[in-house]
Amino acid sequence: MSTEEISFIEKYDLLGCIQCGRCTGGCPVSMRTNLNVRRFMYDTQNEERLEELSERPEIWDCTTCYTCAARCPKGLEPLEVLIGLRSLQIEEGRVQPTVRDALESIFKDGNPWGSPRAKRLDWIGDLDVKVLEPEAEETTDVLLFVCCTDAYDPRVMKVAQSLVKVFQAAGVDFGIIGEDESCCGSEVRRLGEEGLFEMCDEENVELLNSFNVNRVVTISPHCYNTLKKEYHGLRHPVLHYTELVAQLLEDGKLTLSKEINKVVTYHDPCFLGKQNSIYDEPRYIITRIPGVEFREFDRCRERSLCCEGGGGKMWVESESKAERLAEIRVTDAKDMGAEVIAVACPFCLLTLEDATKVRGIEEEMRVADILELLAEAL
Amino acid sequence: MIRAFFLGLSSQVREGGGWISGRGEESMNMIVCVKRVPDTAESEVHIDASGRDIDKSRLSFGINECDNYAVEEAIQIKEKLGGKVTVISLGGKENDEVIRMALAKGGDDAIRLDDPAFAGSDGFAVAKALAAAIKDLEYDIVFTGALADDDGYAVVPVALAELLGVPHATYVKDLEILEDGKKARVGRELEGGLMEYLEIELPCVLGIQTGINEPRYASFKGIKQAAKKEIVVKSAADLGLDPSEVGEAGSWAVLEKFSVPEVGEMAEILEGDPEETAAKLAQILKEKGLI
Repeated sequence: MSTEEISFIEKYDLLGCIQCGRCTGGCPVSMRTNLNVRRFMYDTQNEERLEELSERPEIWDCTTCYTCAARCPKGLEPLEVLIGLRSLQIEEGRVQPTVRDALESIFKDGNPWGSPRAKRLDWIGDLDVKVLEPEAEETTDVLLFVCCTDAYDPRVMKVAQSLVKVFQAAGVDFGIIGEDESCCGSEVRRLGEEGLFEMCDEENVELLNSFNVNRVVTISPHCYNTLKKEYHGLRHPVLHYTELVAQLLEDGKLTLSKEINKVVTYHDPCFLGKQNSIYDEPRYIITRIPGVEFREFDRCRERSLCCEGGGGKMWVESESKAERLAEIRVTDAKDMGAEVIAVACPFCLLTLEDATKVRGIEEEMRVADILELLAEAL
Repeated sequence: MIRAFFLGLSSQVREGGGWISGRGEESMNMIVCVKRVPDTAESEVHIDASGRDIDKSRLSFGINECDNYAVEEAIQIKEKLGGKVTVISLGGKENDEVIRMALAKGGDDAIRLDDPAFAGSDGFAVAKALAAAIKDLEYDIVFTGALADDDGYAVVPVALAELLGVPHATYVKDLEILEDGKKARVGRELEGGLMEYLEIELPCVLGIQTGINEPRYASFKGIKQAAKKEIVVKSAADLGLDPSEVGEAGSWAVLEKFSVPEVGEMAEILEGDPEETAAKLAQILKEKGLI
């Protein structure tokens, strides 16, 4: 077990922790589960306790939203300690069946959703999308990294379809990898499967580098974060679609003519906001849509409330039966008079939309990706 | 409803067969037979040009589902009672991935039966090859899956037990080792969800049904480390088998061709609430003289 070989204390700089409690104080899931990350920062200093600590169910409650790390005055990353504990369980093969199936599906078919590669392009439907050839002589401007959830989830594929319409309307020269595109591994790493993540890193970097493109654009902030910050040797710059679309609007390449007369708020995805400081571009885009009345959540930007979709949580059921953060979020949106919650992440889209159904407000509260609103405003 | 059988086999049955486990303690030697199969649950399946196989070019492959539970059962028993787990698979080098996953989960040894002569084997011919590989090994239990996801024959565990001269139970969904490892209590899943409980003498062959346990995850690192373990490859000749005994020549069933069921022309969808549709259905059946 490599995590033990390097020693937990060294790997996570545990002796640097001053037990100030800012991590726990900011942790959004501590509101609804037993997770006390400060306690783990302390207890994991005793190597003999690691196995016992790794068996605690609450280590799977962490959404890896990064609030604890962002708030730590010593620059430590408490969430990584929880990921380290998860990896001890992974090595032993002791994970929830849903996690096992997602990881095996990535190993076998390159996606966590248990679907074959042969169906990876089903989302395209009648749209005309160029599939890129490796080592092509001609340069394509943008390689669109689609993301497994956008490719396979019937709800989220509408986001990818909207993006194609937006890119085509703006005359963007883009293409996709096609059936050979594989999971970025963001959730793989956060579920503690270090070895499989290394495979994702190596194979995807080699694949992405084989394309003659100027840049890679991702739809999911999770892919974005991983490609940009966690891969080794990727030679293309990586952008989130909000960065490119904001630029297209600013340059006058994308014009929006139809009005959307709705009160729209924006939910900051943790992997775009807290982890990559992209706060302004999504707001710039939304406020350029004719007819939109934009309202901010009270908890927005750096303080935005996590939707609980990250950190592998799409495949882990929490033991807590307390109100989900996504439910709090949609209630907040309703209370402030919003009619649409705009998001820029497939997981946020799914968790928040589910929450509107749990709350019975799906008729009055729409959850939509910014791209869907843009496609409607073209 | 629950019946108990005693399938005790006297020792002379086993005299001509394999090694008899004679240890006093409960340590168990186990063999798990695993098959690599295409994953067709989510994919479109097309018949290939030969008409005798499906086009597998765009399918992904993995361990047969029941076999995955068989591997887990063997490893759980090993963890509880001690012993050894040997993984056997029939097929080409591509089967090594499936074997390594089983080794990563806790398997000790592995044998792959690989010979062009095995091509076209039915369940009986596969059982002959497996029996030839197993007969000289030390074993208390041979595990197989209850049936294969691809051909669904469910023949191998039964034929294998017959060839080895040991008792068997199939569709095993509950297992407990009794009396210092000389007997086992097995629960078989029957039609309608009934469970049949039997006592079976070891050594034996058990065809495992899904749901008997919760298979563990084989980590990527574990699979890589398992790559260091040797997979012994044996040909038909190594097993003392003549090519005429295995493959298509040694099979009782030969696959002639695949065909897609023809789509019928007459299909009437009855509309209305259940009461109306039931009345309409009854009338149609009556008109056709079927009731």
